[in-house]
Parts: sequence; C-alpha cells; structure tokens
Amino acid sequence: MAELHVIGQLVGASGFPQRRLFCKWGLHAGSAWKLLEGLREGQTQVDDPQAGDMAYWCHPIDVHYATKGLQGWPKLHLEVWHQDSLGRSELLGYGFCHVPSTPGCHALTCVTWRPRGTWGERLSRFWLGGGPQLLAPDPAYAADRFRLRTEAAGTVRLQLGLILRHFERYGVQC
Amino acid sequence: MTAGGGGPGVFLVAVNGQIESGEFPGFDDLYCKFCFVYGQDWVPTAGLEEGISQITSKSDVSPTTLIWNFPIEITFKSTNPSGWPQIVISVYGPDFFGNDVVRGYGAVHVPFTPGRHKRTIAMFVPESTSRLQKFTSWFTGRRPEFTDPKVVAQGEGREVTRVRSQGFVTISFNVVTKDIKKLGYDVSPTDMQTPCMPITEGIHKY
Repeated sequence: MAELHVIGQLVGASGFPQRRLFCKWGLHAGSAWKLLEGLREGQTQVDDPQAGDMAYWCHPIDVHYATKGLQGWPKLHLEVWHQDSLGRSELLGYGFCHVPSTPGCHALTCVTWRPRGTWGERLSRFWLGGGPQLLAPDPAYAADRFRLRTEAAGTVRLQLGLILRHFERYGVQC
Repeated sequence: MTAGGGGPGVFLVAVNGQIESGEFPGFDDLYCKFCFVYGQDWVPTAGLEEGISQITSKSDVSPTTLIWNFPIEITFKSTNPSGWPQIVISVYGPDFFGNDVVRGYGAVHVPFTPGRHKRTIAMFVPESTSRLQKFTSWFTGRRPEFTDPKVVAQGEGREVTRVRSQGFVTISFNVVTKDIKKLGYDVSPTDMQTPCMPITEGIHKY
C-alpha cells in the first residue's frame, strides 16, 4: 500500500470581523484510505491577538495514512468559531481544502463562508451575535449546496508538508 | 553521526540552525528556551535537545527586534516520518518586579525538505479563563504558564486553552537528510519527477 504523511500546522486565521477565534477541524478521506497514526480531528486553542487581526493557533497536524486507491484524497474540513467575552461561541465560517497531492511544503489559504439567513436573522446577528449555522455541517463540504444562501467570511492559513511513499511503485504521479 | 548511518530501515535528519531574533512589542530583556518534541519512533543521535539562551535587549541599531543568534544543532534517526520533530520555543523575561514571566510559547515542525529554511512563528501566552483567576494573577503577579512547554506541540486538549498572541520568533534551519529517499519516501516534488535518481542525473538541470 502507498503511504501518505501530512505534517504541518493550522497557522491561524484572518479577515474575520471578530477576534478571539478558534477552529474545529477534521480530516476526511475516502474508504480506501486508512488512518494509521495521528489525530483525525481536533479543536484549536482560542487566540486573542494583541496586534493585528490575525489569530494564531499554532496547532500541529501529523497524520499517517495508508491507501489502496486514489479516490477520496484527504480533505481538511474547517469551522471557524468566535468565543465572546461571556464564553459564548458563534460560528463564523465553514471551509474545506484538499490536502495537496505533491510532496513538499505547502502554504495554503482556505477561504471560508457562512450561511446568510433571512433579513431578520441578520438584524438579530448584528445586535445579539449568533446567527444561523448548519444543523449537520455535511453539506458544507459536499457538492450538494443547492438552495444554501451564504456570504463571505475570512481566510484560514495552513502550512502543510506532504511525504509520499511508494506511490511511484504503482505508477502514480503526484 | 556514524559513517554508516543507523542501519536498515533507518533514516537520518540533521538539523543545524539558529534562533535568530524575536519581535515582542512592549517587552525587552528576554531570553528563550528551546526543546524538541518528537514521536516514539524518533531518537536523537547527536547534538543538544534543549537549550537556554542569553538575555538580550533591543538597541539603537535594532529598536524593535531582539537578537539571539542562538545555535541549534541536532541529529535524529527514525524509521517513520510520523511524529516528525517539532521545535518548541518559549520566551521569558522580567516583569515590573523583576520576576521571570513567560512572554510567549510557540512551535513549528522541523522542515523536511533538505536545504535552508526560515520560519517565523507566532508566540502566545495562556490566559486565565475565569475573572477570579485573572484578578488573583494580577494581584500576585503570577501569570498562567504551562508546567511543561511541550504541550504546545500536542494537538490534544487544546480546546480548553485561551491564549493571547503577542510576538514572533524567527528561526532558520539547515536540513540535511540521509536515506529518506532510499526508504521510498518522497519529500519534495523533484523526488517524484526523477524516481530513484542516480547521483549524476541531477547535474543537467543546472
């Protein structure tokens, strides 16, 4: 079986209207992929940056996959949340990015979006915070997003390194 | 490093470098510590795993940047890239009363492509989660710290930490690897273009 190591960091996020951000993340791969080592999902610390609008998480990622097929190359699902001074959490953005397929170091930026909601919901969000979020975040990462109304949110920065093993033995070029 | 390497199935990663500098607005007279965190398959074979630098200050020629110029030299051997070493940096300095308090923690993976790499990492300090703790820490001058800085390199249990990022540290690495390619690992795009590259073949690219 071919092997894939994803080693890197969730660096942080910028472009969100709030500070004090954290991120829930998960790696999702197809059925041919098997996780041998490492954490598949997690949640970062909450960072309150003292300068600038970029929140830094410095969250390590180190996973080891073995695979029998190329379908379902691993994807990283991200949810950016804001924690306010009362300890309440609100969703700020969904996003996903594919793990790159070329070996080496990659600096990635992942764009995010959030559900928009009705006029009334936007008004209540403006005054009270909160706002709509997906009941099951699956559609956020699937291709089936018809009828979902969204708006732009900030970007997440990642630093991922890829180590591949034995792909060329099967004639696979990445 | 022994001439033969480690044995079958073992690769080596030699890291030279330095903790170059730091930017901590509002703080001065800081020193830093480093240590490496790595998985169970990894063994350091030479060099220093931990270090503690001098105390440095800003000056007229560098009014915002603290210079450490502190060397890092270590060699690891492993059988498996999982658990790739991370360097954990923690920066300390005196507060108003002269007590040493932490000014930032940060971590980054050692780069795995051979060559020279520069990394700027954000540094953060943990915060108290309750108002009472905030008040007592203000009152007693004892800030929250990690008892073991190595938690910075771990992915578990971070959802309970609240931090404040307040500075940057720049590190440069020179990475040399041995036998990674021989074990079938591809760590850079060129590895894939020239499978099992003989030594002479790289030359025509120049």
